[in-house]
Amino acid sequence: MLRGSCLCGGVRYEISGPLVGALNCHCSMCRKAHGAAFRSRAGVRATDFRWTQGENLVTWYETSPGTHRGFCRVCGAKLLSRFDFEAKWYGLPLGTLDDDPGVKPGMHVFVNYKAPWFEITDPLPQHPEWPPR
Amino acid sequence: MIRGSCLCGEVRLEISGAVSGGSHCHCTMCRKAHGAAFGTYALVNAADFRIVSGADRITRYASSPGVSRTFCSRCGSTLQWQIETKPDIVEIALGVLDDDPGVRPARHIFVGSKAPWHEITDSLPRHATWPGKS
Repeated sequence: MLRGSCLCGGVRYEISGPLVGALNCHCSMCRKAHGAAFRSRAGVRATDFRWTQGENLVTWYETSPGTHRGFCRVCGAKLLSRFDFEAKWYGLPLGTLDDDPGVKPGMHVFVNYKAPWFEITDPLPQHPEWPPR
Repeated sequence: MIRGSCLCGEVRLEISGAVSGGSHCHCTMCRKAHGAAFGTYALVNAADFRIVSGADRITRYASSPGVSRTFCSRCGSTLQWQIETKPDIVEIALGVLDDDPGVRPARHIFVGSKAPWHEITDSLPRHATWPGKS
């Protein structure tokens, strides 16, 4: 079981299954949403994810058609993304995890849109946008 | 002039002076607030910092005594870090800037509380907490 929580502790969640496809996204929407150099995220099955406290504190913002990003309305912590077109999966920003997920981001995506003030120095694969499928 | 804005565009800000002292902060509070591997902040004189629009959208959260963090209440973008004892300084979250601030982060701080899933691979100085204390 993996546990996570927001900064103020009002929102808590648990994940009972694996995190998959962890990556760092440098797209401008992710950078803006997090106010950070990049977003580190993994996929989690919706059936493995459970809010254990404070779900009513989560504000959802539709950042592009069908993609909703949730954050705590008290402290602003970025918690989860859900997708109208892929309801079986959530996107989990790794920053609010309290436990070590045991996985690490395996690539950088959307590096064409990387912040000019951040340099990627690790050996992970870099993709200009999405990797070829 | 350096401009910034949140994800939904309601909050817009302008910086008319120098941006200095960039740091990547790996403390637990930054990681949680940003939901990211680390937060990156740089310093701006409060006199050079202006909220152009959306001031009523900004929520302030006191994350520890004397310290507050702000974000857009509509889209959640993290905007700034403010310490009460230094009202003349605004610490801006670089991720919301639309223009290149020119400054480049020069250090990692609070690496003692770094995320286990993130590795620091650059050659910048690393401090366990604040510089000067480690």
